[in-house]
Amino acid sequence: MSKRRKTIRPRTKAAVRITLPLTVVLAVVGVWSVSLGAQPVPPKDDAYGLMRATQQTFHDVSDAIRPYLVRIDTVGGSQPRALRTPAGDENTPDPPRRSQSPFQDTTGSNFVLADGPATGIAYSLDGYIITSSFNFVREPVLISVTLPDGRRLAADLVARDQVRKIAILKVEATDLTLPSWLDVTDVRVGQWAIALGLGFGGETPSVTVGVVSALDRMQTGAIQTDAKLSPANYGGPLCDIHGHIIGICVPMAQRPGELAGIEMYDSGVGFALPKHRVDEIVAVLKTGRSFYRGWLGIVIDPTIRDAVAIRNVAIPSPVHEAGIKPGDRILQANGKPLRHFGDLVRVLYMLPAGEEIVLQVESGGSEFHTVVTLARNTELGPLPDLEEPFDPSNPLPAPEDK
Amino acid sequence: MTRRSVILLSLYITAIAAVTASGSGFGRAIETVMPRVVKLYGLGAGLQEGYGSGVIVSKDGLVLTVYALLIDARHLRAVTSDGTEHEVNVVHRDPKRQLALLKLMPGGSSTETQPAREPDVYPYFDLSHESPLRPGDWVLAAGNPFKVAAGAEPMSVVHGVFSARTRLDARRRLKDYPYRGEVLVIDAITSNPGAPGGALVNLDGELVGMIGRQVVSNLTHTHFNHAVPRDVLHRYFLEATGLEADNTGVSLPETDRSLTSPETTASPIDPGIRLSRFGYRRVLPFVDRIIPGSPADRAGVRKNDLILSVNGRNVSDAASYDAGIKELAPGEPIDLVIRRNRNVLAIRVDTSTP
Repeated sequence: MSKRRKTIRPRTKAAVRITLPLTVVLAVVGVWSVSLGAQPVPPKDDAYGLMRATQQTFHDVSDAIRPYLVRIDTVGGSQPRALRTPAGDENTPDPPRRSQSPFQDTTGSNFVLADGPATGIAYSLDGYIITSSFNFVREPVLISVTLPDGRRLAADLVARDQVRKIAILKVEATDLTLPSWLDVTDVRVGQWAIALGLGFGGETPSVTVGVVSALDRMQTGAIQTDAKLSPANYGGPLCDIHGHIIGICVPMAQRPGELAGIEMYDSGVGFALPKHRVDEIVAVLKTGRSFYRGWLGIVIDPTIRDAVAIRNVAIPSPVHEAGIKPGDRILQANGKPLRHFGDLVRVLYMLPAGEEIVLQVESGGSEFHTVVTLARNTELGPLPDLEEPFDPSNPLPAPEDK
Repeated sequence: MTRRSVILLSLYITAIAAVTASGSGFGRAIETVMPRVVKLYGLGAGLQEGYGSGVIVSKDGLVLTVYALLIDARHLRAVTSDGTEHEVNVVHRDPKRQLALLKLMPGGSSTETQPAREPDVYPYFDLSHESPLRPGDWVLAAGNPFKVAAGAEPMSVVHGVFSARTRLDARRRLKDYPYRGEVLVIDAITSNPGAPGGALVNLDGELVGMIGRQVVSNLTHTHFNHAVPRDVLHRYFLEATGLEADNTGVSLPETDRSLTSPETTASPIDPGIRLSRFGYRRVLPFVDRIIPGSPADRAGVRKNDLILSVNGRNVSDAASYDAGIKELAPGEPIDLVIRRNRNVLAIRVDTSTP
């Protein structure tokens, strides 16, 4: 008998701490409530009851948000090709031709896009719908939208933000109902985050669950979550457990490119843009203006390490107009010190063309600050010929032997 | 020991039992699932694993698992939760649905210290037991990923939520995945090598599905973790055991068996739509003409309509339209979504009469 007690006792620390009579009372109460089948607010030590309640909350959130979700179907369009910058590809047998611009937009990923449906959120009463630009990289010929009440309407792609991965659609409707968004100041790290999507088809949204992992991420105020985000819910909402939208789920990565970040799907690292950022972007998109990747128009000297040294400057280009010349070094961008080319990319990748950037530049022994407005790659001129032509087959001198 | 303390002790034990059941949220699910899953060992080759998991679905030891190379092993073995190793017979295999039914043979030799189990009585999941399931429900997957567990060691459990029920349109490596029915999508990594064939249960330990093989969705082009729903398993089980009565457990060649599967008896149907197929590049599925009096004609499909989807699956060209039609069973209605000028219309084509 005593042996039996010993083996059981360590299994529940709580039972050891509580006095025996109290345990008996708890047991009786427990059996009684189970037999009644009643499910009031579960006591704190009832982990099963808590999980049931949590699960019910996930359903409630899905039901609460469903009336604001639209399913987007696209037809046509081709796979985007991941363009390679000529200097970066050692397998190219021919040196890059002069006529070819070194400033090429890349998709940022070799991800193969599929034909499946996508998710959007009703944004304004007059028929604007927000979604992720990811869903339109293929340049579809036709877009149709299924409203929560079942109506199917043709939609127009008004504009898209290829940098923050937001797009807006317009449908002929004046009776959209709008969800309630959570202000970013009320979002806390660790709170529940529930992502909904219509990418798997059907009427009931898919549900993936996680928490808010971090705030103010990716240089653009994005909310990070470990809820699984993928093409099944890009463009859909990330919600709190009260049925408010925390942000719109979009792919993001620490490099530029229309598809950058897609390969991080379901990884536990996902991003959502909060309402105030969406509002800023949509205000511009509504005018029909799209956002494109922002460029400085410089070529960095790969032979100089521990500094961002300019090898060549396109004419015209934002940097050329600011008086920055080959041989100058960029010390800081938007207040962030730059030790390496990658540091500059990290400052730039979330800034679209038209945005200003503050550069601190060292030129001929003196330093100066300048404000440069980023340009689209199509606005950049050609690179002037250098005295020593750049040899793409041998971009770096061999490291010195020690 | 006094009588009083004996009474107290018995109450005390009751209290502990109640605490263990609720002490962890998945406690009762884990207690239910563990004795009902088995570890499978057989032959692997190349990238195919030589191990897997299975779910016991009858008290006499029938086990459901996924159809994999493992099943074809000459010496297929299963280890039950008490560590007993059993010889396994393959009762039925269905390459189309990627499922297989196995039978644990009695008289297993124990690899652990426990005595051998009494033959013919196993804890099992009743496949006919329905339980409601909706997106957002907690689920627990029990399997043997990376054969971490051996002998009597309990299977590995992974928790997550059930995300969506969707029709599987997927591929595995370079080939299309033959199963095209409905699956459950899970928001956790459940399909690691060795885990497919394991059980997916809800908070109450009720079987809701069986962990499927790792596939890449053609809808999203992402790997996704899925399970074969309980109702699909049940239908398969009834068919497979029906055959078993005739063949006393001797498995027929694959080709014979797959012919009896209802999916493969489906013949192409013709709703009477002819698409425009001009041009050397990919052509959008515009209707070129409609056969007069055909099902599509009666349903109101017109020349120049653009077909957007067939039974919920998007079509982007004539080939994907053909593929969508080919999958339908004779007489099954076709739900088309078409675009006519600026309008998007849903049309149901009744194909029960030609």
